[in-house]
Amino acid sequence: MVEFLVHVAIMACLYGLLSLSLNLQVGFAGLVNFGQVILFGCGTYGAAIAFSHQLGPVAGIALGIVFAVIVAAAFARLGRNLGADYWGIATLAVAEVLRILANNEAWLAGGAQGVGGIPLLFGDMPRPMGPLMTLGLCVALLLAAWWLCQRLTTSRYGLALKLMREEPQLAASLGYDLAALKTQTLMVAAVLAAASGFVFAHYITFVGPDQLVSSETFLIWAMVIIGGSGNHLGAIVGAILMQFLFAFVPFVKDALGLPSEHVAAMRLTLVGGGLLAFLIWRTQGLIPEHVGGKQNG
Amino acid sequence: MHKALLAAAYLALSGLPALAQEVVLGAVVPLSGASATLGDDQRRGIELAVDNINEKGGVLGGRKLRVIVEDSGGRAPSALDAAKKLVTVDNVPVVIGEYSSGITIPVGQYLVQEGRVHLNIGSSSGKIRSLGDGSFSLIGLDNVSTGFAAQDVVDNKWKKAAVIVPNNAYGQGVAEQFQKAFSALGGEVVTTVMYTEGQTTYRRELQQMERSEPDVYVYSAYGKEAATINRESFELSINTTPWYAIYLSMCTSDADPKFIQGQYGLDLNYIGPDGAVYEAAYKAKYNEPFKTSFNGYGYDAVMMAAAAIEKAGSAEPKAISAALKDIGKGYNGATGDITFDADRQRSKQPYLKLKIEDGVQQR
Repeated sequence: MVEFLVHVAIMACLYGLLSLSLNLQVGFAGLVNFGQVILFGCGTYGAAIAFSHQLGPVAGIALGIVFAVIVAAAFARLGRNLGADYWGIATLAVAEVLRILANNEAWLAGGAQGVGGIPLLFGDMPRPMGPLMTLGLCVALLLAAWWLCQRLTTSRYGLALKLMREEPQLAASLGYDLAALKTQTLMVAAVLAAASGFVFAHYITFVGPDQLVSSETFLIWAMVIIGGSGNHLGAIVGAILMQFLFAFVPFVKDALGLPSEHVAAMRLTLVGGGLLAFLIWRTQGLIPEHVGGKQNG
Repeated sequence: MHKALLAAAYLALSGLPALAQEVVLGAVVPLSGASATLGDDQRRGIELAVDNINEKGGVLGGRKLRVIVEDSGGRAPSALDAAKKLVTVDNVPVVIGEYSSGITIPVGQYLVQEGRVHLNIGSSSGKIRSLGDGSFSLIGLDNVSTGFAAQDVVDNKWKKAAVIVPNNAYGQGVAEQFQKAFSALGGEVVTTVMYTEGQTTYRRELQQMERSEPDVYVYSAYGKEAATINRESFELSINTTPWYAIYLSMCTSDADPKFIQGQYGLDLNYIGPDGAVYEAAYKAKYNEPFKTSFNGYGYDAVMMAAAAIEKAGSAEPKAISAALKDIGKGYNGATGDITFDADRQRSKQPYLKLKIEDGVQQR
């Protein structure tokens, strides 16, 4: 059971990173990114390409970050002339194009067949230590990301982001360079997502285009909305809660003796129904955004 | 007080006393997501085998066999959640699964690393071969079925083939291996089309293939897409050229007989002493013919695992793995003779050569 909990905690941290990243974009800067999963994919493909060319994990994370920054720059460039909602659709399209590219270009990273056998990060360590070290790394990454996001958003910079979200014209009239703000936010968020993808690839040990379908993006959206958009802690809580709920649904099935096919339906209901419930009755999420107070004082 | 009640309820419901006598195996299949139809059919095969074994008195001197079937959701992370639960919490010696190779590979790697037995019943990617000791394939990998198909096509004197398969791991593997086998036999693949799943029409793809003037269309498809391709090939009257299906039943399920008239194809061979009984049992329990070509592997996996446990006299993964290697020499499964090669893969499969006449498969 402990081993299983360690696994669920690792996955929760990785989703926590993705959720923090999306929350920085949506919750603070008002960037409605429907292509979040591709930023994660930059990390997984960085790991996969480095592995298939025997370049080692350091090259993998570097490649992942480079890819993520390029995609973020492309997203930001798209955003110049588009309204927030249209921009969201454009990001979805770009993410799908990149996924299809990965699916078709067999030379890149195995095409649809993907790349398997990517080594575990602490695979050489004796049994209980390896997964624990991975968990330690994931927790450290999550805390560092949280600290970074907190620093960014409680500064004047964070206020500028919120102003851009609420009143873009006002922000522009006050002399803020909106294009630069968007680009910077996207790049920071992209690096967080890529870090999550890199660790994910070395944990799952397999990278393929099926991991980048758009439903994964909406899973991360559900985490942000349920946890509380515009609040870092909320984003993390949403991710951890969803991951634990997902992982423990099968236990409920075993305990109640339900047939397996019900579990599948139950999981879908949890995401869809939960999301709807929050959108209708608690739009601010579990932990609402902090408006006013100390940092404005 | 509440806690005590909950604990008592949990103990009562989880049936702890029964666990001591049961032999428990695990399975991870896609019960939701894009491959849910296939995954549910795999589950049916597993269920039938469990019923069969328990009717005959279970394993290891009357202990009941149980298979915990978990949903992978068609996602690698959820599949790994399920596999880790089966290994670290339920402590099962054998895990059966999955369907997509992108999920089977990480799950198999994890199981091998944990020293458990992995039985692949649905993925045909060549990459499965290198998973390592403890991982067995009951399904012939893509080189087995395409090798058979290529030989059959050549035997029918068709020289130029146009291939259409889904653009996913399965389809890319089939296209690549068929091309290899067919060229080696002197044939030529004139076009290969990888279709995107979920489209409402495949006319453009079919017309593109038609322009290459093939002697035969070779295809493998399932569900809605297979139905669309068959209908549109009829409407475009390119079905006057022979069509050859890799897994004919899967490609032509739910099709109007006039759309698929005269199609050739290969399919699994449900002969052998267990096959006919199995086919009858499936029809009796689910009131329909085989939904996909994949349920039989689930059935065989459970039957073989049970036989291995019986032979080893224990439910330890190491002993089961060793026993499986012995049993896997001409084992008589519902899907025909099962023989593992040195990499524990099913190297040969006795497929059927079929042709459809008036909506009925003729041997």
